[in-house]
Amino acid sequence: MTTPLISAHEVHRDYPLSGSAVHAVRGVSLDVMPGEYVAIVGPSGCGKSTLLNLLGAIDRPTTGSITIDGTAVSALPDRDATKFRLMSVGFVFQRFYLLPVLTARENVELPMAEAKVSVADRRARARELLGYVGLAERSEHRPSELSGGEQQRVAIARALANRPTVLLADEPTGELDAKTGSDVIALFDRLNRDGMTILVVTHDEKLAGAARRVVHMLDGRVVRDEPLLRRA
Amino acid sequence: MLAPEPGAVSGDTVRVAAILERRADPSEVARSEYRIRLHLDHLQRLISYGDRVDRFAVLSAGGDAADSVLKSVNQAAFGFRAYPSREIAVETSKTFLVVSRFHRAIGVITIVASATFLLCIMLLKVDERRRDVAAMRLMGISRSTVIRSVMVESSAIALVGSVFGVGLGFIVSAFVNSHYQAVYQTPLRFAVITPGTVVFSVVLSLLLGIGAGALAARRLARTPPLALFGR
Amino acid sequence: MRLQLAILSLRRHVSRTLLAMLGVTVSAAMLLDMVMLATGMRESFSSLLGRNGFTIRVSPRGTLPFDSEATIARAGDAIAQMKAVAGVTAVAPVLGTTIHALGSAEPVTAFALGIDPAVQGDYELLSGAEPAAGDALVASDALLRATSKAVGDTLDVAIGFDPQLRTYAGRRRLVISGRARFLYLSETDRAAAMQLATVQAMGGTQRADRASLFMVRTAPNVDPEQARAAIERALPRVTALSTAGAVAEAEKRLSYFRQLAFILGAVSLGVGFLLVTTIVTVSVNERIGEIAVMRAIGVSRLHIVQQIVIEGIGLSLAGAVSGLLLGLVTARYLNSILSAFPGLPDAIDFFLFQPSAAFRALGLLVASGIAAGVYPSWRAASLPISTTLREEAVG
Repeated sequence: MTTPLISAHEVHRDYPLSGSAVHAVRGVSLDVMPGEYVAIVGPSGCGKSTLLNLLGAIDRPTTGSITIDGTAVSALPDRDATKFRLMSVGFVFQRFYLLPVLTARENVELPMAEAKVSVADRRARARELLGYVGLAERSEHRPSELSGGEQQRVAIARALANRPTVLLADEPTGELDAKTGSDVIALFDRLNRDGMTILVVTHDEKLAGAARRVVHMLDGRVVRDEPLLRRA
Repeated sequence: MLAPEPGAVSGDTVRVAAILERRADPSEVARSEYRIRLHLDHLQRLISYGDRVDRFAVLSAGGDAADSVLKSVNQAAFGFRAYPSREIAVETSKTFLVVSRFHRAIGVITIVASATFLLCIMLLKVDERRRDVAAMRLMGISRSTVIRSVMVESSAIALVGSVFGVGLGFIVSAFVNSHYQAVYQTPLRFAVITPGTVVFSVVLSLLLGIGAGALAARRLARTPPLALFGR
Repeated sequence: MRLQLAILSLRRHVSRTLLAMLGVTVSAAMLLDMVMLATGMRESFSSLLGRNGFTIRVSPRGTLPFDSEATIARAGDAIAQMKAVAGVTAVAPVLGTTIHALGSAEPVTAFALGIDPAVQGDYELLSGAEPAAGDALVASDALLRATSKAVGDTLDVAIGFDPQLRTYAGRRRLVISGRARFLYLSETDRAAAMQLATVQAMGGTQRADRASLFMVRTAPNVDPEQARAAIERALPRVTALSTAGAVAEAEKRLSYFRQLAFILGAVSLGVGFLLVTTIVTVSVNERIGEIAVMRAIGVSRLHIVQQIVIEGIGLSLAGAVSGLLLGLVTARYLNSILSAFPGLPDAIDFFLFQPSAAFRALGLLVASGIAAGVYPSWRAASLPISTTLREEAVG
């Protein structure tokens, strides 16, 4: 039996609010195998984005444990969590979050620069990744000169820069029209076929439908977790 | 005991009749020598000066009387030269003219530095409101209303700042006077704030503050709202 | 990439950055000028006094050199006693007086020094010869112009003027043996120097065997302070001042400028710091979302702080460099104003550029640029990432 790549056990996340607490995630346990493509769905406020942030070491659980590729991320001090995010996790946000002062290529190079990759190597890898996402000819454009879909693809390329173990995406098609959203969905599909483990949080039925497994959340809990029967 | 030279045999004995406070005379500032006043004939005897003086100060009825006294003395007395006090004051004021010019130059530099700082801060302050301005424009509020509202705010800041600045100026000048009066043991006032100074500073800071606010507000109002949101 | 991001961030709002740099430039210029003012007077006065190797000045008791018309009696004895003090290698007497150059319609009044040409330290000979004979003098260019004379001409001079009888006392006809630049006077001052004995003789009984001042040279390995104290012990009727003491006295008289320099310098530094802090803080606050994104993708807090600190340093450094240039220009202007002080020797500069002091001060400004960036950037980099991302829209 293969060991799960991601293993979350009884994870809780509470936020204090005017004397009481908001229980954003309540006792979620989840295992994700290498190469899986998982969609986490649920109504707004059900805790799916919070769960993704916890899995990506952007946030820390109040209680419970999270292990990714053998690393107990829930217990990592800030410096190690930062390193972990840099090297092991690729995060794609709903609002792209590209740095407006950098070109597409420079945005993709940013995590590699942080990881002390040489200029030549990171330049080559950035070009390769932008080619992979279909934006080779737009590499010197700034985000303001790119469409929403193009920006999101650059963001995906950036997320892949340091060859992460897992790709986490929070509503990646939330700001895109249907056509561009489809392009992004196709890209995710291709990434997964190439071996990338992907977790997406989404309201988008099409995106959820493209995944191999759907985890339903409600009120901070996982209420259903089922594989999707799809075409190969 | 007084003697005409240090180390000489002691001369006259005097009684200290009074202790004089220093006058508010700029030429006495930073001079640390001791001063005594004696009757003229006593000093003449002490230093063997004979029936001589260095100069006379003449009190006249003023105006035309001073001019005619001046003329009479210069015509009548051998080898004397009478000067109106005003002329002497001008000659001996050269040092203070230099200091005054220096202060003015420093003042100009300080004003330039302050003006630049003020402009910078006001531009930043207005720039910080870019999202509010964007939201207002998106709601349909006109450019002129936006500019007006931003300018009211920047004018208020400039006005309050000017008032505080004047107050601070009074406090600092009081401190400067008390400090230097203590250091130089003089009643002289070193920093004097006149109504003219107040008016000048307030007008200048208001002009700069409001001007900077207007510049920045116009720039913001001209920028498309979505661009203000960074889109 | 931190440097690149810092530069790009500064270029994002060009007018704001330029205005901030201008503000820092003016602050830096003012700071530099005040440092130059604080050190200039002391250094140039010290250098002037130390010229020709005279380390001690001796004046009538309780006075400073040429502070009053008092003179030291029995000058000959005084010289002998001072020469007997251990470490004293030379004693230069000086007797100051006013002379009147006669011959033209109006007599020309000038300041005269009676000196020993073999060991004087009051002037530099520009042309001609020292006043080796008792009937010779050297004159300043201003005196030569006023009397329309040249080297080699004769000059009728007198020392005393009786206003009652309108007669001059102590008249002499002297030969102008040379042109000189008087170190302790301004170029516009009319001045002459002649043998001490000549001035004493011209002054009659009032000036016989008297001197206004002695300048004393000590051996290099001798502590001037010790020699100074020994001179005062040997001659209770004088005040002896070492160069350091003379500088201190001059500083006391001009303490107003030093205090002004300190206050304005501190204010300039404060203003420069505030300006950079404000710019950096506003810039950071505008980019909190970007900072959160960088933290989310794995950029460390330290690197974010470094990037923002580089921005602060960039602003301060650019301002400091241009402030250095502006400061040198304004210092020249301000120096020209203060050099007009009546009676101030031309050799005295109020504003003196000393590289070490200047770079220390500007270094302080740049360091303040570092300090300005640290707190706001650390604070921004420490905000909770997920909450910040939710609240801030980026891109």
